[in-house]
Amino acid sequence: MESWNGLRTDYEDICPAKKFLWIDLPATEYEEAWRLQNDLVAARKKGICLDTDVVMLLEHPSVFTIGKHSDLKNLTVSEKFLEKRNIPLIRIERGGDITFHGPGQLVVYPIIDLHAAGLSVLNYTENLEEVMIRTVQDWGIRAQRGMRNRGVWVGNNKLGSVGIAIRRGICFHGMALNVNLSLEPFGWINPCGMQKITMTSMEQELSSAVSINRVRHAVKRHFEMVFDVELVMTSLSELDCLQ
Amino acid sequence: MKEISELNLPDNVRYTEDHEWARIEGDKVRAGLDDYAQDQLGDIVFVELPRIGDTFKKGEMFATVESVKAVCECYLPIGGEIIAVNQALEESPELVNKSPYEDGWFVDIRPSDSSEMDRLMTNEDCMERLKGAK
Repeated sequence: MESWNGLRTDYEDICPAKKFLWIDLPATEYEEAWRLQNDLVAARKKGICLDTDVVMLLEHPSVFTIGKHSDLKNLTVSEKFLEKRNIPLIRIERGGDITFHGPGQLVVYPIIDLHAAGLSVLNYTENLEEVMIRTVQDWGIRAQRGMRNRGVWVGNNKLGSVGIAIRRGICFHGMALNVNLSLEPFGWINPCGMQKITMTSMEQELSSAVSINRVRHAVKRHFEMVFDVELVMTSLSELDCLQ
Repeated sequence: MKEISELNLPDNVRYTEDHEWARIEGDKVRAGLDDYAQDQLGDIVFVELPRIGDTFKKGEMFATVESVKAVCECYLPIGGEIIAVNQALEESPELVNKSPYEDGWFVDIRPSDSSEMDRLMTNEDCMERLKGAK
């Protein structure tokens, strides 16, 4: 039942690591990715057509999303202002308040049967944070977990976010790491419902360009280590459960 | 996260595979979230309950529970009409963590078919299932 202690047992040395499927997606509209997650959660629960956990890695075109129990008080501009800029605002079932996704932010959506993986919700969210902390450390950025809120932080600036939902023991939604996105839209909200916090990105912290493709590879590598799994590349078209 | 042996799974309630519980109290059935589920989720900060008078089939989603950064769906263990909801959870959602089977109850149900209770798991079934998935 103990899930992640960073140690491998003898048994694990003999047996190959557990495998998750890994899907690298091109830029994907938020609602399209949301439908994909719903389909994968349903297929994973049945366990017949999808007997493996799946992780999707992608970027979204600009979009604001807001948790189901939150109101719009943390949107500091009018909805019309967003409409003019053609940025949709979508209400979703994850926890947390309002946030922004856009090009230059790496989003990871794991669809994992938490119970079968032996992960508590808390361990799972800590693992996601750990993946982000180790990834940015490769670029020399020292990030840490927040005391007040989930996510990873550089000082008082938020570099990465975590927000998950659980349906019949299967988790979805996930984490978002700010690599080189425009931070301006975060100025139009109180991110995560918290006033007086600012968002940052890897590029902002380093004051130099960061290749998002290199970060994609690093995220994959650290995900494998933190979750102690082998990630097997696949594509949506190869997933029978979506056909 | 608790070890299986540390879980509080009393024998006076029945369990679903998704870790809701149900207990017959006179002609009604009281339901909530079990110790495993509350322990899994960690500190619960919000519970969204149905309205009195709503009716659900067994297994339909009737509530959501939000812990720090996670929202979890809950499914009614037995079909019927909601005749009471635990108003205290609005102000004190942490009762689900502190007292999952007493102060942290979710709803009272007027069951449409009380024989559905017989198809829920006993605490021993629930324990076996948890051990099996270890």
